[in-house]
Amino acid sequence: MSASTTYIVKRQGKRPTEAFKAEKLHASIVAVCLSVQAPIGQAEATASSVCNEVTVWLDEKPEVTSEDLRRKAAIVLEKYHQDAAHLYKHHHMVI
Amino acid sequence: MAKKPVFDYDLIVIGSGAGGSAAATIATREGKKVALIEANEFGGESPNWGDIPRRALLQAAHIYDEAKGATKFGLRSGTIGYNYPLLQHWKSLAVKRIGVGNNRQYYEKQGISTFTGTAHFLSPHEITVNRRHLSAEYFLVATGAHYNIPNVIGLEESGYLTPRSILELTRPPKSLYIIGGGGMALELAQLMATLGTQVYIGEVASRLLPKIDNEAGELMERLLKEQKGVISLTETRTLSIQKEGLGRRITYSRGGVEKTIRVDEVLVATGRMPNVDLGLENASIAFTPKGIEVNDYLQTTARHIYAAGDVLGQSTQTHTALLQSRIAAHNLLKKNKVVPDYTATPRLTSTFPAIASVGLSEDDCLRRDLATSVAMAPLSMIARSTTAGFSDGFVKIIADKKGVIIGATIVSPAAGEMIHELALAIKYELTASELAETPHAFLSWGEAVRVAASKLIL
Repeated sequence: MSASTTYIVKRQGKRPTEAFKAEKLHASIVAVCLSVQAPIGQAEATASSVCNEVTVWLDEKPEVTSEDLRRKAAIVLEKYHQDAAHLYKHHHMVI
Repeated sequence: MAKKPVFDYDLIVIGSGAGGSAAATIATREGKKVALIEANEFGGESPNWGDIPRRALLQAAHIYDEAKGATKFGLRSGTIGYNYPLLQHWKSLAVKRIGVGNNRQYYEKQGISTFTGTAHFLSPHEITVNRRHLSAEYFLVATGAHYNIPNVIGLEESGYLTPRSILELTRPPKSLYIIGGGGMALELAQLMATLGTQVYIGEVASRLLPKIDNEAGELMERLLKEQKGVISLTETRTLSIQKEGLGRRITYSRGGVEKTIRVDEVLVATGRMPNVDLGLENASIAFTPKGIEVNDYLQTTARHIYAAGDVLGQSTQTHTALLQSRIAAHNLLKKNKVVPDYTATPRLTSTFPAIASVGLSEDDCLRRDLATSVAMAPLSMIARSTTAGFSDGFVKIIADKKGVIIGATIVSPAAGEMIHELALAIKYELTASELAETPHAFLSWGEAVRVAASKLIL
């Protein structure tokens, strides 16, 4: 099963389930990297690396929750940018 | 009054291996509506790719080895050989005859709903399998474990075998480097060396079988070297692996010196890691990469979810997983919860001679600062070793200061059978004198147990 067919259950099913979009994840990682003052080039490169690893992780998963996706992305992001990962994990509370 | 939630099933068991199958069967017999989820082949690791095929091949290899050495009994066996595809056929036949592997129909006949796919928790009472949502009042997580792949430079790129894939080879490799020196590594080392492979074992610890008795590890290292030409590289860290033609070049560090060897294949046998990537966070289940945390009753931090088997990260023995599965089924069905008793659970390595142990080891006793007495009876002390023409092995028994047996290790051709006598002794707190006074049949390997026990009489 390819990652394109992985579906994301949002807000414990309270919002409609939607297919995983790598671009959406990419944009969120870029945004969080820029929020911690990372240069745009680094933000883009980090987002690409994170997206690749998350896509591999999703490869054999037909369905995951949005929380799973956030957790996994944060774990991968931690390898590249710890401050960004912290913000990504806790941005609900930070905001 | 709050309405009781309606679930699709009373119990969903995730994993059809030893940790899950028993519970699914027991709960169904109790009239519960049960679903069983399996990501691979029904039956799990042990019957499909683990214990059963490996031991079927080990048995064939052992007979071949015995026949080759039969000249000492006056038998002519100089021309004996083997046909590897037929050995593979024997292995497949053994798996088929056991009937536990790939047994989906067995569960369906019992009324268990079966699903193939990876389960993923969406919430504490709901999972998804191939985008199908299933809910249950109770869950049992028995997802088993996967092979732990060490971080060695070039390992992924150059390719490697696992204890599963090595059993599927079309012919034994000419040379093999094994990363890891535990029980499974030794079984496979002996299997391949018997079939003519030059085997190297790279182990980080100072001896093979670092988790079991000192003498057992040292004896096996000596036997593998003398009888099979296996080269044990203890205190060795594998640094890198490079593809070189059809083979691989291994660089390892030993005693601060870097060396290289060239082999045909590399086998990774560095243990297993629990399969915990199934959305456990969504069900509020506490876990670490080393396994799911459970209480004495095998309940996870979400009390309606139980866990059993290799996913707990405690033991990799199939009989322990079965015990946990039965206990988990009892605890989720009955009000009087019970605790699994591991004190007399035997541990077995199916080499030749086999290595079996039960209860505490000498190291355990040292760590706990227990006053103990230890007695060892070499197999050469009993008559059976003479008639069988095999005397490498021993029975070691550990007793506390009152003479009560608390641990034992056996290295013997029949260690797997002999250990149960000592397991029973440990479970029912028998003393060494009670064991020694029990008649043991003359010319049985069991006589060594009596001899060791009699040495402990105060």
